[in-house]
Parts: sequence; C-alpha cells; structure tokens
Amino acid sequence: MIIHSSNQVSRFRLLRRFPLPRGFGVLRESRIEPGRHWPAPAGAKRTKTFQIYRYDPESGRNPRLDTFEVDLDECGPMVLDALIWIKSNVDSSLTFRRSCREGVCGSCAMTLDGTNWLACTRFITEMTDPASVYPLANFPVIKDLVPDQTHALAQYSMIEPWLKASEPPPQQHERLQSVADRKRLDGYYECILCFCCTSGCPSHWWNGDRFLGPAVLLQAWRWLADSRDDAKGERLDALEDPFRLYRCHTILKCTRTCPKGLNPGKAIAEIKKMMLERTL
Amino acid sequence: MRPCSPNIQNYRPQLTSVLSIANRITALISTVALVAFVAWLVAAALGPVPYDALYALAASPIGRALLVIATFVFFLHLCGSIRHLFWDAVVGFELRSIYVSGWVAVAASIVLTAAAWLVGGFFKG
Repeated sequence: MIIHSSNQVSRFRLLRRFPLPRGFGVLRESRIEPGRHWPAPAGAKRTKTFQIYRYDPESGRNPRLDTFEVDLDECGPMVLDALIWIKSNVDSSLTFRRSCREGVCGSCAMTLDGTNWLACTRFITEMTDPASVYPLANFPVIKDLVPDQTHALAQYSMIEPWLKASEPPPQQHERLQSVADRKRLDGYYECILCFCCTSGCPSHWWNGDRFLGPAVLLQAWRWLADSRDDAKGERLDALEDPFRLYRCHTILKCTRTCPKGLNPGKAIAEIKKMMLERTL
Repeated sequence: MRPCSPNIQNYRPQLTSVLSIANRITALISTVALVAFVAWLVAAALGPVPYDALYALAASPIGRALLVIATFVFFLHLCGSIRHLFWDAVVGFELRSIYVSGWVAVAASIVLTAAAWLVGGFFKG
C-alpha cells in the first residue's frame, strides 16, 4: 500500500508488531502485566474496547494493561475524547497530558495502535478494535500515558535553538528576509516538539543517549536554513559526530509518523548534505 | 527506577522500517554468500574433481534453493542501496516517493532474480 500523507492509517493489519518475544530487551521494571477490565456502563449500545497502558509509581508494581469499554454514544469522536470520557466516567486516576485538543500543542502525543500520533487528531473510528494506547515509545514513564521528556528536551537545548546573529538588529525594523529565504523554513518551523518522530526512531531507541533524534535534528536544520543566522559553521561543528547526526540511517519512520506532516528525514539529509558541501 | 514504555515490542511494522532492517540483513547474507562465491573460484582453480563436487552440491535442490535466495537477497540489497544513494542527494523524500520507491525496490528485486535465472538457464543451454 502506498502512503500519501502521514495522517493516513495503513489498511495493512496483519502484523501488529514485529515477530519478537514480548520481553525482547525489556528490563524487569518495564515488563507489562495484565491489568483489570472495566466494563461499559449499563445501557451502552455502541461500545469500543481500549487497551491502555497504566503505571502508578506509588503502587510499587509493574506497568499493566487495563481494558476499558467506552460508550461511543456518550463521548466525542477523537481518541482524546475517549480518554477524557474514561477519566470522567470510569477511572479518574487515568493520567495523560492534553491541552489544545486541536493538534497545536503536542501534549497528547502517544503510541496509538502501534504508531505515534496525537490523541486529539486521531479519530476513534480509525483505531482497531481493541484499540491500543501506550505512552510515547521508548520514553521513561512518569505515570500512565505521561512520558518523561527531560532527555529529549536536554538534547533540544544542546543544538542552541535560537538566532545567533553577528550583528545587532537594525534600528528601524526587524531583521528582514527575502521571500525565497523565508520559504526555506517552510516545513521546519511548524514543528510542535511532540517527539512523535524521536519516539518512533529505532536509531534513537538503540542510541538515544548520544544520537539527537529526528525532532531535534529537524530543529537544527531549521536554524541552519535560516538566512538571518550567522553561526552555521559552529552549528555544523557541534553536529559533526558519528552519533549525534550520523546515527540516522534514513529509516524514515519519522516522516511516516509526524502528526504535522513535516519531514524530519529530509531535514537530516539536508544537514548531511550541507556537512559534505562545506568540505568541498 | 521508572519503567520504559515499549518500543519495538509494540511499534507496528511499516514498509520503511521493514525495508531498512531488510537492507541490513541482506547485506549480512550477501557477505556470507560472497564466501561461497570465493569457494566456487577456489574449487575451479583446484581442478575438475573439486569443481565437480562443488557443482553437484550447488545443483542439488537445497543448493539451488539457496542460490535463488542468495540472488534475491543480493538484488534486494542492491535496489535498497540505490534508494539510499538518492536520499543522500536529498531526492525522493516525499512520503509518497518513499513508499513508491520502496515497493519498486521489492518488485524490481523479484523481477531481476527471475531474469537472472532465466538468462542463466539460457546460457547453460
């Protein structure tokens, strides 16, 4: 099947996961145990089953997989609506981040049916039955669906994501750009830092301690591509490393999963090309 | 210590990730197949008796099956690596291009494998 845009859900449902043992590379504290079943309220006509990852740091127990039956007639159309319905009507301890409910803030990024996406922009009808809801893949879990993004954000601050100009701004107006120069930032400045791409990147799974990951590298390119920035050499020097940049093997799961339809894979290729061009 | 949310245990396979890992596995198998190719040359250099022995081994049903697999693996790696050459030049990064080139690589390796064996059979007479 040909995927045209990242919001397309694959109709290929045969292989839900790679044929590997469940415990493959999983540390003891991360093993997922069976959880409890929460039936639909009496009188519910149209229901859908949601399998949701739960972890309570205060229980001292392992993560578990709870099953909720959601009354579709009582909740909104999006996966986030289903989560809010569960929190309001079934289990108020279900914990998740959400804010804008329209794909702008990136708070509700999670692994839905084995693919990273924002819960607020994924229709419940697009989910399999049972639907699976996990926190962002490969992140430490604070509670339930809330991942700890400290490391990813530290990597973001490493690329120094601000304008570095060698001259002070003009007195009369802001720093100007030509239309063509401004266009070079399209597809990169829109990133909302939801970390769907970084969380879905196998290179970041295995080498996340040193590899910066697609979200951060896309941001790095956003500053390298900016005509007003004067620190290109310095920025490239910081990235020229076998791990920070070159651990990207163009797997391109980042581009497939970006909820904003951006192209981190292309941004990284642009950095590699710029790196090569400066040696010519 | 905080648990880590599952990565490969939960993430759905997709064309991009499957072809990426396939490119690595085919590289590994092709390297092993290269040893078999060298063994064939060595046998030819040693004379007709070892060569005939190795030929009989390769012409057995299992030998033939392994050779067909090795040919397919070689072509899949070749086609997959050509995609990477384009990507290194920042060409073909639109999601549609990624999927089209991926399926083209799979189809082309099947066609090239069939073609290689048909042409090989033709020259054998």
